[in-house]
Amino acid sequence: MGENIGGRTALWDALPGYDLIEEVDLPEMHSWFLDATHSVPPWTPLFGWYWIRFCCHGMKVVCDELSIPTCKGWEMRYRDGGSYNAFHIVRDKKEIAERAVKFRQALRPWIENFDGLWESGKRELLGMYDKLKAIDLENASHVELYRHNYDLMNTYRRMFEIHFLGMYSSYSAWLLLEDLCKERFGMKDQDPEFQDMLRGFNNKVYEMDKSLWDFSQLALDMGLKGIFVQNKPDDLRAKLEMSEKGREWFRKFMHYLETDEVGGWRMRRMNDLTEPYWLEDPCTPLGVIRNHVLKETEDVFGNVHAELSKNREAAVARFLERVPPPERPFFEGLINLAGKASSYSEEHDLYCELISHALLRRGYLGMGRRLAKSGTIDQPDDIFMLNPDEIDRVLMVPDRHDLRFITRRRRAEWLEWHTRPNPPVITDRSGMEEAVAMDLLPSMDAVAMKIVVGELPEHKPELGADMFGICGCAGEVEGPARVVVNYEDLKEVQPGEILVCPGTNPAWTPVYGMVAAVVADRGGTLSHAAIIGREYGVPTIVNTFEGTAKIKTGQRLRIHAAEGAIFILDK
Amino acid sequence: MSSEKQIFWFEELEEKHNDIVGKKCANLGQMVHLGMPVPPGFAISIELYRRFLDLSGAAKEMRSYADELGDLKGVGIGTFDEVSRRLQDIIEEKDMPAEVRDPILRYYEELCERLDMQDASVSVRSAGTESRPGMFETYLNVIGATDLLEKIKKVWASAYTPRAVAFRVNKGFPLIGDELGVAVPKMVNSRSSGVSFTVDPVTGDDTRIILEANWGLGEGVVSGSGSVDGFVVEKETLAIVNRHIGQKTRCVVNREKGAEWVDVPEKMQHIPCLADEEVLEIVKTGITVEKRLGCPQDMEWAVDGDLPFPKNIFWLQTRPAKVQVKKPVSTTDQIIDLLAKRYQ
Repeated sequence: MGENIGGRTALWDALPGYDLIEEVDLPEMHSWFLDATHSVPPWTPLFGWYWIRFCCHGMKVVCDELSIPTCKGWEMRYRDGGSYNAFHIVRDKKEIAERAVKFRQALRPWIENFDGLWESGKRELLGMYDKLKAIDLENASHVELYRHNYDLMNTYRRMFEIHFLGMYSSYSAWLLLEDLCKERFGMKDQDPEFQDMLRGFNNKVYEMDKSLWDFSQLALDMGLKGIFVQNKPDDLRAKLEMSEKGREWFRKFMHYLETDEVGGWRMRRMNDLTEPYWLEDPCTPLGVIRNHVLKETEDVFGNVHAELSKNREAAVARFLERVPPPERPFFEGLINLAGKASSYSEEHDLYCELISHALLRRGYLGMGRRLAKSGTIDQPDDIFMLNPDEIDRVLMVPDRHDLRFITRRRRAEWLEWHTRPNPPVITDRSGMEEAVAMDLLPSMDAVAMKIVVGELPEHKPELGADMFGICGCAGEVEGPARVVVNYEDLKEVQPGEILVCPGTNPAWTPVYGMVAAVVADRGGTLSHAAIIGREYGVPTIVNTFEGTAKIKTGQRLRIHAAEGAIFILDK
Repeated sequence: MSSEKQIFWFEELEEKHNDIVGKKCANLGQMVHLGMPVPPGFAISIELYRRFLDLSGAAKEMRSYADELGDLKGVGIGTFDEVSRRLQDIIEEKDMPAEVRDPILRYYEELCERLDMQDASVSVRSAGTESRPGMFETYLNVIGATDLLEKIKKVWASAYTPRAVAFRVNKGFPLIGDELGVAVPKMVNSRSSGVSFTVDPVTGDDTRIILEANWGLGEGVVSGSGSVDGFVVEKETLAIVNRHIGQKTRCVVNREKGAEWVDVPEKMQHIPCLADEEVLEIVKTGITVEKRLGCPQDMEWAVDGDLPFPKNIFWLQTRPAKVQVKKPVSTTDQIIDLLAKRYQ
């Protein structure tokens, strides 16, 4: 078990208790599924430590608080930068029935007052974030920095405890609605008829996207088009500062980033700490605004949203006509709750992950600067190669410690992980199908099935397609492929191209105004790519597994999203 | 109760006499004790029915015929018709022995005296010990001794209608079975009749009472034919929350002898067959009885055209309603229920 070094067995490396050890973890859980929606590209150790420990904890909390009948919680392990997930499935019928009794009670407040409960969760988190923001990292004493390490852990733990409650109640309603629609009307959650009833909602993410677009219009109104057109995002700030109008515009913009509830406290890349947040580097939102100016994009959200909202009401009305009158109030209530899944999916990303990750980056870079100064590590962002226990060990007397033997090795490993993708499942079953059937599906876990692992695509040989995924948003288009694996490559995307990527996250929404379609390697009908696709009216296919591996930038593709089919026209 | 007494006035009976006089008769006695106005009349015990079968020789004949037949399980309808006809003939062709006839006529005479009528018009209703709605016969508007005796025999014979025979054979019960009591209440001169449920029989909502009514006899309502008046009354407030005036094109009325379906005069089709005060009186009694008996009731009543309100309302039957009482389930509860069931 583990590595034998000088006569002693090494159990864990970066994540004590949470590194995957096949000899123990396979017999215990049998199948471990890669969370490719979140952990591609591979995670740094510090981020992995946080997510795997506290997200896993959050899952256990929700399964406990809501008493999910068939699942007691998840397990998560870290391997080569990937997050591997397994599920504590309850199989004993009697135990399932007992848990169901408490489940009914626990669910009631979420059905009756979803918005109120989520609102109070948000308030609690924003209060904790404010406390974290208060520390002056450059001038803090060693002890204050030391405590900040623990304050970050505490906040992040609490964030994940809140994170899943709204998710499970609304996603369960989505699954129930899907079951009933399938049973009664032969409708699946990939069918446009179903999806149209559950899109066209407003939430904070769209509001912020709209605000950025508004700033692009303000720039045009203030005659700043030239500055935006002639300068790359990295140079924009300096150039704007050179003119009075430019300074005025920029001041207004920074004010928004600083004072909005979320504002600039959002990471460019959601799932790791390696890229800046907007307040740190306004180049990111400036780049988005520049894009709107350059390409004269329309108010994508405004135009499309109003229509989607109207369509939603019409789709719901049409659906209710197929339902016997005594059952209509029930279906209306269920559709309403399932609709929350869409908004919650986006909003929780902002208020939970994006802000707290920004605060993690800020706090740990502050510690990193301190440790780099004292020579404990080579450069500030090497701190992402350490875990909080290792940081704890050195923070009080940094000049007496040298951790480069750890950080250099881990960085080399981390870079190496980027060269080879992680397998989708590690299992002692006969293969993916058996693993899914035995160790995933019986959990009835909405998040596992609809986001993290996603449903397996159906191969329809009669269509003659080259690749299959599941439908996130219906539509048929043709266009050139643009394969994007990292956020930096996103700026290469041209209007009319078909985005092929591992998955998407809120940082990527600005590109939805330009692309003809989106093809994602992983995800389910409730993952980000699918939800945004539906809200922006962009045909989307998810969970192809092999899109970024098989498709090349420039290849012409035809997408038939409702069938989950991708045709590579020039091979 | 002495075994000499074979016939009882309704007021002498209680629920516990079910096995002696049959359910319907015991029920009428129970209603009297509940303070519900019931048409005056008497009940013929099952024992007297057995005496008739024994003394007339019908019992012996029927038994040997049954032995001849052997096991009838799985036979077709044609056979049931034949067996039924044979057994009913055996009963109906027998004269009533004096020992059986005389007590019956004595009670009928006394009933006429009490009512101050020459030949009181009565109905002759089957009363088995088990509830078998519609399985046995009922005769309406029976007048005079001869008619009465004949109809009583026919009611006794109705233990062997094809339907009753088939029922017993298919259930594996003995062919010779279902001994019947007989209820003989005065005919109500029904201006209107109807049924009421103290829960909504469709939804199980127990906060309301549902009434259905038509002109004439209850047979024009119970049989479920034609369009009838419907009333929904909230128990708590006694408010009539729903009122449906049906197109009452046909109803059942008394004739010289018997009763039959007739057309309802045009001008009476669209007016309510019950006054609001009558509806409420019926509802109030329903609430009281449901409370006293501790379960939802399925009730029959008639409104006598000859008497003033409230004396004009008579009760003919009350029995436990075969409806599941459900509290109206909120949308939240329904969603929770189904969400939980997904996991099980």
